[in-house]
Amino acid sequence: MSVSLETIYVQSEDVVSRIIEDELIIVPLVSGIGESDDDLYTLNETGRAIWSRLDGAKSLNQIAEELLEEFETEAETVQKDLLGLVEELVNRKLVMVR
Amino acid sequence: MGYKDETEISDFQLWDKKRKNGSLFAFDIELTARCNNDCRHCYINLPAGDEQALKKELSIEEIASIADQAIELGALWALLSGGEPLLRADFKDIYLMLKRKGLLVSVFTNATLIREEHVALFRKYPPRVIEITVYGVTEQTYEKVTGRPGGFQAFMRGLNLLIDGGVKLRLKAMAMQSNAHELPAIAAFCRQYTKDYFRFDPQLHLRFDRDEVRNQLIRSERLSPEQIVALEQGDAERFTALQQGCSKLIVDEFAHTESDHLFYCSIGEGECNISYDGIFRVCSSLWAAGTTADLRKTTLREAWQILVPKVLGMRSQRAEYLENCRICPIVNLCLWCPAHAELETGELDLPVLYFCRVAEARAEAISKTTGDSQP
Repeated sequence: MSVSLETIYVQSEDVVSRIIEDELIIVPLVSGIGESDDDLYTLNETGRAIWSRLDGAKSLNQIAEELLEEFETEAETVQKDLLGLVEELVNRKLVMVR
Repeated sequence: MGYKDETEISDFQLWDKKRKNGSLFAFDIELTARCNNDCRHCYINLPAGDEQALKKELSIEEIASIADQAIELGALWALLSGGEPLLRADFKDIYLMLKRKGLLVSVFTNATLIREEHVALFRKYPPRVIEITVYGVTEQTYEKVTGRPGGFQAFMRGLNLLIDGGVKLRLKAMAMQSNAHELPAIAAFCRQYTKDYFRFDPQLHLRFDRDEVRNQLIRSERLSPEQIVALEQGDAERFTALQQGCSKLIVDEFAHTESDHLFYCSIGEGECNISYDGIFRVCSSLWAAGTTADLRKTTLREAWQILVPKVLGMRSQRAEYLENCRICPIVNLCLWCPAHAELETGELDLPVLYFCRVAEARAEAISKTTGDSQP
């Protein structure tokens, strides 16, 4: 499924994200998330910055702008990473369109 | 930028960090000591209708509070055991409450109380694993061990419901006199349905409540050292693993150990146990005075951060320990540990002759097949 910068996404209610030892761990609650019921997910610092902003209030465009301020990098790189991660999260049913 | 780590669960850096920081990984909680079976070898079971035990059980609110504290300490895994956890009318609520807190929840059950509603629950909200002990694969043997007429039929019905529902199971067995003749068939049965591996355990613990009548029954069910070795040799997978691990299991250097520490196993490394009435233990079998904490009177944090280091720092000056178990090169083949020594003898640092005999028989069997002259 392709994702768009104009769309607002929200973390699925069927996952719980936790910070353990400074790492973000995403724990699926229900079956059918990810490739198997044994899957856990961890995101690095950048992924975590994106994940925390998928709150059902901001579009990806707005999130991209915030990330540009936080990370000193090119707008194109931010958009590419943002779209890449959100597409993967959507495909794995970890986030959904609001 | 880059945003994710493609890592297998077992390779998460998190595990290393947690080990390094001595933080809590996992907790086991016995939801009840009551059980609908009355197994001859059981170290905990009380009758299903035991009113006193029922009254002492942690409420779901108390369990939620303990879980919150465990999560604050970093726990990711929770094991629900018993007794038989499905005897609790609020089992489903407890299970879901823990899942919703982001814990990876496993369940130990005898499967006899499994109904369609449990299968639906486990299908929608998958457990990390469900472990089921198979006491026998015939009605006669199963019911001799469990002491419950109709138990085998109930077990098979529950098991089949889970299997047909596609719920992942791990099957295991306890090896004892009452089912020894059937263990090869039990192993074959378990291997057919288990999701990953099968294990059997010949170590029958004595009772946590120190009930001497029941302890006598447990002792009478224990296999002889020769029976244990014959079983292990008859199980190619297990015996090969024992042989392959031989260099780690038989450690001559232990003979030169000068430490007088009691605990040199992995207790306190990220896991703890909580009894049905809220007693915290560093490991499930460790009930000795001064090693437990009542979570109705103290916090899990205090138990984890103050009691655990205190227990791990315990030492012994007893010659029987220092001159035997502490320097024994084959202690890794032994059933001995301070917790079991205490259940057997009342002391944390006394040898247990039966355990010595089992270790010696195992060492002899390994040395014969690996060609070592002396274990």
